[in-house]
Amino acid sequence: MKEVVIIGGGHNGLTAAFYLAKAGLRPIVLESRAVVGGGAMTGDLHPGFKCPTLSHHTSLWTDIVSDMDLVRLGVKFLEPRVDVLAAPIDGPPLVLYADPDQTAEAMRARSVKDAEAYPAYRASMEQIATVVGSLLASPPPDIDNPGAGDLWNLLGVGRKFRGLGKRDSYRLLRWAPMAVSDLSREWFESDLLCAALAGPAVSGTMLGPRSAGSGLVLLLQEAHRMFSGNLSQVRGGPGALTLAMAIAAHDAGADVRRGTTVERILVKDGQVAGVLAGGREIPAAAVVSAVDPKTTFMRLMNPTDLTPDFLMKIGNYRAAGTLARVNLALAGLPRFRCVAQDETALLSGRIHLGPTLDYIERSFDHAKYGEISTEPWLEVRIPSILDPDLAPPGAHVMSVYAHYAPFTLRSGDWASSRDLLLRRVLATLEQFSPGIGSLVLAAEVVTPADLESTYGFWGGHIHHGELALDQLATMRPLLGYGRYESPVPGLYLCGAGTHPGGFMTGGSGKLAAREIARSLTA
Amino acid sequence: MRAVTYDVVIIGGGHNGLTAAAYLARAGRKVLVLERRHIVGGAAVTEEVVKGFKFSVCSYVVSLLRPEIIRELDLARRGLDILPLDGAFTPMPDGDYLWRVNDHSKTRREIARHSLVDAEAYDEYGRAMVAMGRFVKPILSMLPPDPTSLDPRDLRDLLGLVQRFRDLPRQDQYTQVQLMTMSAIDFLDQWFETDVLKATMAASGIIGTFLGVRSPGTAYVLLHHYMGDIDGAFRSWGFARGGTGAISNAIADAAREAGVEIRTEVAVSGITVRNNKAEAVVLDNGHEIRANIVASSVDPRLTFLKFIDERVLPADFLDDIRRYKFRGSSGKVNLALDSLPEFTCLPGSGPHLRGAISISPGVDYMERAYDAAKYGAFSRQPYIDVVIPSLTDPSVAPPGKHVMSCFVQYAPYHLSEGTWDEKREEFGDTVVDTLSQYAPNLKSSIVHRQVVTPLDLEREWGLSEGNIFQGELTLEQLFFLRPAPGWAQYRTPVKNLYMCGSATHPGGGIMGAPGRNAALRILADTGR
Repeated sequence: MKEVVIIGGGHNGLTAAFYLAKAGLRPIVLESRAVVGGGAMTGDLHPGFKCPTLSHHTSLWTDIVSDMDLVRLGVKFLEPRVDVLAAPIDGPPLVLYADPDQTAEAMRARSVKDAEAYPAYRASMEQIATVVGSLLASPPPDIDNPGAGDLWNLLGVGRKFRGLGKRDSYRLLRWAPMAVSDLSREWFESDLLCAALAGPAVSGTMLGPRSAGSGLVLLLQEAHRMFSGNLSQVRGGPGALTLAMAIAAHDAGADVRRGTTVERILVKDGQVAGVLAGGREIPAAAVVSAVDPKTTFMRLMNPTDLTPDFLMKIGNYRAAGTLARVNLALAGLPRFRCVAQDETALLSGRIHLGPTLDYIERSFDHAKYGEISTEPWLEVRIPSILDPDLAPPGAHVMSVYAHYAPFTLRSGDWASSRDLLLRRVLATLEQFSPGIGSLVLAAEVVTPADLESTYGFWGGHIHHGELALDQLATMRPLLGYGRYESPVPGLYLCGAGTHPGGFMTGGSGKLAAREIARSLTA
Repeated sequence: MRAVTYDVVIIGGGHNGLTAAAYLARAGRKVLVLERRHIVGGAAVTEEVVKGFKFSVCSYVVSLLRPEIIRELDLARRGLDILPLDGAFTPMPDGDYLWRVNDHSKTRREIARHSLVDAEAYDEYGRAMVAMGRFVKPILSMLPPDPTSLDPRDLRDLLGLVQRFRDLPRQDQYTQVQLMTMSAIDFLDQWFETDVLKATMAASGIIGTFLGVRSPGTAYVLLHHYMGDIDGAFRSWGFARGGTGAISNAIADAAREAGVEIRTEVAVSGITVRNNKAEAVVLDNGHEIRANIVASSVDPRLTFLKFIDERVLPADFLDDIRRYKFRGSSGKVNLALDSLPEFTCLPGSGPHLRGAISISPGVDYMERAYDAAKYGAFSRQPYIDVVIPSLTDPSVAPPGKHVMSCFVQYAPYHLSEGTWDEKREEFGDTVVDTLSQYAPNLKSSIVHRQVVTPLDLEREWGLSEGNIFQGELTLEQLFFLRPAPGWAQYRTPVKNLYMCGSATHPGGGIMGAPGRNAALRILADTGR
């Protein structure tokens, strides 16, 4: 049986391991940390408090969930009562539910125009997401020599595109390159609603709401939602999900080794020979890297094994992170100004704290000049509302995505800016939830520098590279290397830095495994 | 009123309206052009604002005018003479400067003074861009195919595009996609390290748009500097002798010779539509001029929301027109000078004053200028593109005196405080003060100052929201999406009504291509 080393035991590495094992290969997953999970893990925040350390939102494709039989392995998905709660500084909140009609009804008091437009917007978005989804569900086509399979896939996409009808097919063409601020304003008048829609379109990227291309990120996210059934929270946190995935991979025949750090990818006679890990050589027929492309090629390889042209292009691959994480152990449930005491269910989904498009844009302005936003916009979850076991009775954990926190700071460094970031995040939270500061028992700050040094994300970029038109599909990570291969025979990629990229879906791991298995078993 | 029926009545006597008219008349059509102002040319005009000084009031340099139009309308014989603009000079606040010229080895030495690496990369960059320009150029003269149509012609054109892309070498495919999607700075970061070089090159990517140099989508416009056709020289930009109006006058001459009737100071107030057919143009004095075809070279907002009773238009189309984005972002300050500006960093009246003078000293400078505009204020430290055409073409100023044209960005049409009429002089002062930081003698040399605000562009030149391209050149408003999805082939939902201005493919920049393409469309549709 051919041995295949997989570098990195995150959700994509584990997904690839599972499918490669099923294809009759022998995957060895090497994870440098003592736990698997990569970006999807649950950490001990404070005695008795557990919290998602990095991603607090998973959207693993449902077909992967069923292939790996994760529910049988104990994974329990929890369904929030609301999708999004967007908090204004003053006045009533805006609530988005999974059901568009329910959302529209709730919206009516704020704006009749928006309430009427919302169901039509959702319907159009879902139509379009289906077409985008059909592109995400198969490997990107080989543009030089499209094979029969590629043509078949493209034909399917083409048929779906035609099926949209003129109106929606033009929307798809227009929306992708657009700025999400323009896109949302075409539909809605409420600034809070526009801001809430803009949040996911710029989260984790070097984009503000006015940046062209943020429309595309929104479409991608909507498309992935179609595949994940919106199952975003897992009991026990994302770590429970990846733990079950590790078991599934192991049961399928993969060897998952924790605490094993890969130092170098070994190349002999122009062909991958294995890896050097913990000072020991592990020979393998192929090496599959689930870590990001820049780390793979610029840190784990001997530069002489690659061409200068390739190295230059990988060097230019944009992966400058803009996100920091703050996790809080709270003595009780925080009160939000806009939420009545008996409506805590409203807090069970994503809480959007960025009340206007200009508010988000202004916080983005700082990132352009290498500064931490003075008034950050925050994406917050309180996972302990649906999953009380994460905290002692009555207590809660709060997980915060803080934007913008650029990886490269113009003045100072992240080691000395940690407290500043925490202060700004707490001050912002205080605006929306007065008194929250007095509930904080412990706080964990993960800066973009930590994301790189501790968790291995080059540049601290949570999506393994910017989600931009020139870094997607056939061009992720580079044109000519969009099908999980690399310039070195035997070396493959399967992380979020490959198609379809990002959002904790497992899509890259699954599609990569299919391609790799085909070429290794041929 | 005698009841003459014209084959085609064209609304607006700008360069595109005139170009369309010339082509239609040469094919035997009876054509009337209606211009609201006292002279033809639209935004491509020369006006003697103060005695002896001839300003290219709005558009001031030329490069993209399609060579087939120059040839077919015989514009050179009609007095069109393009004088090359040599070089780009960027003064810096620290007393240094960057000065790129046509002379290749000189520019190389100059860039090497800032960075050896960049001097190397500059050649390679130029070659790559020329190759990219070659790919894009044919698209300018193309009728944009409809990607949602099953018409064999549309499918063939689309596949043709895909095939041409596939035929490019891998490296060029890569660069092409980047150019279509990246920000100017992200793109240039891949090649260069010198801040001022990147800033001044990126400036061309933001002209006329409400975007910053770091906004995705701005890289594409960098290409335009390599698509010019004037002797294939560096940048390939030039002045028309006698000012930009000379271009319009030459085209008008060709039109008149072919039999076009041009009436100035005639304002259109409406288009008569009956049974979903355009039948006539109504003037503001109430007169109606009947026409078999009406072609509008003004922007879609005026055409569909002002001239036509919107109840006759399909609701979806109206939505598209209403959300078509203008958001003008630039203004113009034209100065009559009694002496040349003296730059502290490079004194004297040397050849560096003959080319473009660019106030774009750094990437952050440019981006901060944009930040101000996002929240509705004009930049206090604006990006300014300056030319002194009188150095190259003495006919535009009295002997020994000069005209100086300053294109200024950002000047957002929508101000968050006050009105443009209140801010006009403050804006003019900001521009002069900014320039004076680099050339302190400027203030005392000014004989006359003309400030053109975005509001002026709208009121006087009929450019909605002061957008110099009749609508933003962003991806969602280009090619088969310009001006509205499904209506990119110069036709409109109203039968016999066509669009022929910069709001149609391939957009603004004195190309003349929209006028020519529209004329060809009309001729094809009306047979004969």
